[in-house]
Amino acid sequence: MTLFRWWNELRHARRLDRLSREELAHHVELAVAEKIGAGVPEAEARRQVRLELGSPESAREMLSDARAGARLDALARDLVYAWRTLRQRPAFFAACVATIALGVGASTALFAVVDAVVLRPLPLPDPATLARVYDTNPAAGVMRSGVASGNVADWRRRARAFSGLAGHYTMGRTLTLGTDSEVVLTAQVTEDFFRVLGVPALVGHTFTPEETAGGLFNNAAAPVGADPVMVIGHALWQRRFGGDPGVVGRTVTLERRPFRIVGVMPAHFAMPEPGVQVYLPWGFTGNEPRDQHYLHAVARLAPGVSLAQAQDDLLGIANALAGEHPATNAGWSVVLTPLRDDMVGDAGRTLVVLLGAVTLLLLVACANVALLSLARGLEREQEALVRLALGATRTRLVRQFLMESLVVCGVGGALGIVVAVAGVALFARSDAGLPRLHEVAVDLRTLAFAGAAVAVATLVSGLPVAWRRANGEPAAGLTGTPGRVAVGGNRLSLRDGLVIAEVAMAIALVAGASLLLRSYRRLQAVDPGFDAAGVLVAPIFLDMESYGRGRSRTYYAQLVERLEALPGVASAGGATALPASPVGPDFERPVWPDGAPEGERARWRAWVRVITPRYFETLGMRIVDGRAFDGRDGPDAARTVILSRGLARALWPDGHAVGRRLTVDYSTVGTYPYDVVGVVDDVRFGGPRRAPRLEIYMPHAQKPYLVMNMAVRAKGDPRHLAPAVRAVLRELDPAMPPHGLHALSDLLGATYARDRQAVRVLSTFAVAAALLALLGIHGILTHRVRERTREIGIRMAVGADRSRVLAWIGSYALRLVLWGVGAGLLLSAAAARLVSGLLFDMGVLDAAPLIATLGLALLGLVVALHPAWRATRVDAAEVLRAG
Amino acid sequence: MDSRRTPAYVPIDIDRRCALAAEKLDLLILKTLALQTEHGYGVGQRIEQMSRGVFKVTLGSLYPALQRLEKDGLIDAEWRTSDNNRRARYYRITAAGRKRLAEEQKDWERVSAAVTRILKAT
Repeated sequence: MTLFRWWNELRHARRLDRLSREELAHHVELAVAEKIGAGVPEAEARRQVRLELGSPESAREMLSDARAGARLDALARDLVYAWRTLRQRPAFFAACVATIALGVGASTALFAVVDAVVLRPLPLPDPATLARVYDTNPAAGVMRSGVASGNVADWRRRARAFSGLAGHYTMGRTLTLGTDSEVVLTAQVTEDFFRVLGVPALVGHTFTPEETAGGLFNNAAAPVGADPVMVIGHALWQRRFGGDPGVVGRTVTLERRPFRIVGVMPAHFAMPEPGVQVYLPWGFTGNEPRDQHYLHAVARLAPGVSLAQAQDDLLGIANALAGEHPATNAGWSVVLTPLRDDMVGDAGRTLVVLLGAVTLLLLVACANVALLSLARGLEREQEALVRLALGATRTRLVRQFLMESLVVCGVGGALGIVVAVAGVALFARSDAGLPRLHEVAVDLRTLAFAGAAVAVATLVSGLPVAWRRANGEPAAGLTGTPGRVAVGGNRLSLRDGLVIAEVAMAIALVAGASLLLRSYRRLQAVDPGFDAAGVLVAPIFLDMESYGRGRSRTYYAQLVERLEALPGVASAGGATALPASPVGPDFERPVWPDGAPEGERARWRAWVRVITPRYFETLGMRIVDGRAFDGRDGPDAARTVILSRGLARALWPDGHAVGRRLTVDYSTVGTYPYDVVGVVDDVRFGGPRRAPRLEIYMPHAQKPYLVMNMAVRAKGDPRHLAPAVRAVLRELDPAMPPHGLHALSDLLGATYARDRQAVRVLSTFAVAAALLALLGIHGILTHRVRERTREIGIRMAVGADRSRVLAWIGSYALRLVLWGVGAGLLLSAAAARLVSGLLFDMGVLDAAPLIATLGLALLGLVVALHPAWRATRVDAAEVLRAG
Repeated sequence: MDSRRTPAYVPIDIDRRCALAAEKLDLLILKTLALQTEHGYGVGQRIEQMSRGVFKVTLGSLYPALQRLEKDGLIDAEWRTSDNNRRARYYRITAAGRKRLAEEQKDWERVSAAVTRILKAT
């Protein structure tokens, strides 16, 4: 019954109580009046009436109206009684509370993560009608890519299924306030971006069409235009402007050009991705390219339009565009994904596994508490039997014992919330590789979950005990002395069942964790094609103002020279995009070998990397044919390229790529022929889980890009180089602040951060569950031995030797473990199916879970040794004396 | 639970000398109210008078019994002004109450006749 109902009943009862009080008083008055009428003095009349009729107070208490309130009293009494009973056994109480705190804490923390990442809708108005738009070209092997700005312009004009379709592009840029420069993540967005997402500015306004017209989108460079404006994010506003509302209208410097701040976004706005702190406007000139797919688009469905209808609408337009612009659009189509699915991706799969695991852990914890309570001595059994004999109802006894587990689980749950808050903080701070982690918090929903977990824990840990206690036979219990000879059959008792369930669940967890661990080891063992150890990475964003028209060439040549002059540096090199590194221009272009017929030209698309000469050496990439870039590949020399092994094989299956010529379609910039001078081994660009890409490398001297990721190979720990590298960067251009320095091994690790986090969390759960299960085995055996001390003593007195006693304990322990293993294997089969989706390059039929199961079973037998030893120490004489 | 077959035990006796009657208090109340609508005091008085003083109904047995009968729908009650101009709660037997009374009365007559026969046997 809920407290609320109690409260209502209590109020209703108060009113009825007042009425019955009046009725009873009336009765007494009539009786007294009659006696007075018969000549009895009033005081005497009252005394007699009281004697004859009984007291109205006690009569009132017998009325059930008054009892509703009493029920609350009884509840409070039960609570106090339970608390007092538990306080008498602090060690037992602490053990139970700690176990429950662990179970409830872990499950609540994980629920908070699952809730934020998977369950909760995006923190945007009407998120179900938001979708992401991707270009797709299945024939060319491109399942999903960014969109081309020229096509976005046409979609916006022609599509009817959307109330808005906004484009955006994210990159790092240098923001200068006074003399202080920093690199911030910026998003260049179409004017309707904020309207499509449905989030207005907190201060000021978002972009107007006029402002957008001024902010052209000029490739990766900063917007150009007469009066450039920007909207800033909440965090930047707080950090650099102290949350001053007067910031609107102020001018700041971005990429060495002045921008006027027109608005500030609210704190929860984390679009298009968390960390974006500056928004720049993007207008259309009408001649945007249709073959450069590196932008992103987000759309809001018109009211009443389904995703499929919208998809059809866009497909029609894509087909029409393919007809109108066959050179750029043939083969290209469009795919729509709900925004939420796009952001969450397959994170749900990992989280479902972890949620399943934590549920098992919670159940194991509850079973352990139930076991502890069951084993907690016979005196409680005696107490229950005495109370039954004295007339307590079984319901009342069950309630009493459930109250005890409520206190245990309540206190444990409260502590568990503390554990959950700490766990959530740990999880959110760790590099978990999960989307929406910034939304994770312990809120009311989480607390409600914790409450539910406590309720489940109360029932699971309390009912077995309550049921057993309340079903005792008073007569049998009272006539026997405690520690009497137990009648032990071979039937499995409730306690045995609990231990077996614990062992089974622990085995499922351990088996699942071992599978994941093995998969993780395989992931780590994958050769990425480069040697990340010892490499420091520094992304550098030069601005068009100072470094355009080839001036970046000098900067990067100087930078490499100075970095290599640093003590402790083996070599230095840069690339527009480094494997495993998330920032930098990363795009693909059509590539064809010389002599390829017109129709074959769109067959291969290669990811373009612009690199400095000693880049391969610095990253430890292997040249398999030809040479690396060097001084021969200068600005005026013939254009040269190096191919990845996969691309070389794709273009020239005969295996001779070096010395041949190919053409790269550079879209708006033109189509150029290149001489192949080398072939380099494939790298796993997106981390070990992703297959290598087809890549083409070009010398920076011939193709001077502004944005480069510099890599420095250190002779020792690369992190120690960071201060020296920062100093070099500041020295070279004080207005270009160093930022984002990372060890490449960390960046590589981040590509499988989710695997790592899953392994960590699952292993922790598995170890905790295994420990609890072992404690359970140990506990029940110890208790069994204590229960049978008398029996053992008598048997030994009449000639049984120790080996018999050991055999009894051994077979008992073996029975528990074997049952546990049997049930555990069944449960593991179900768990394996859940885990299989997370495994890398392996099936669930693996030796690891079997070995882990066997190991846990052996440990189970090992912990049985202690109680067995104790059993052999039973002193027959002492037992007999004790009678 | 069918309270008709297993009449609830009334924990408070109406007279210590006759525990049997305590179990039948419900029946006596129904009978009293079948004769006349009464307030609580009146019910107690009537039972006492009709039993010629053998039964003295205490508050602690009368009111819980009235409450139970009311809950079972055998009697109903309302607040009215009494003869001495005070607010009192008057109880009245319902149709269901009359039916129950008839049944219980028949049962009781059979049982008491049987007991009497046994006790008078020679």
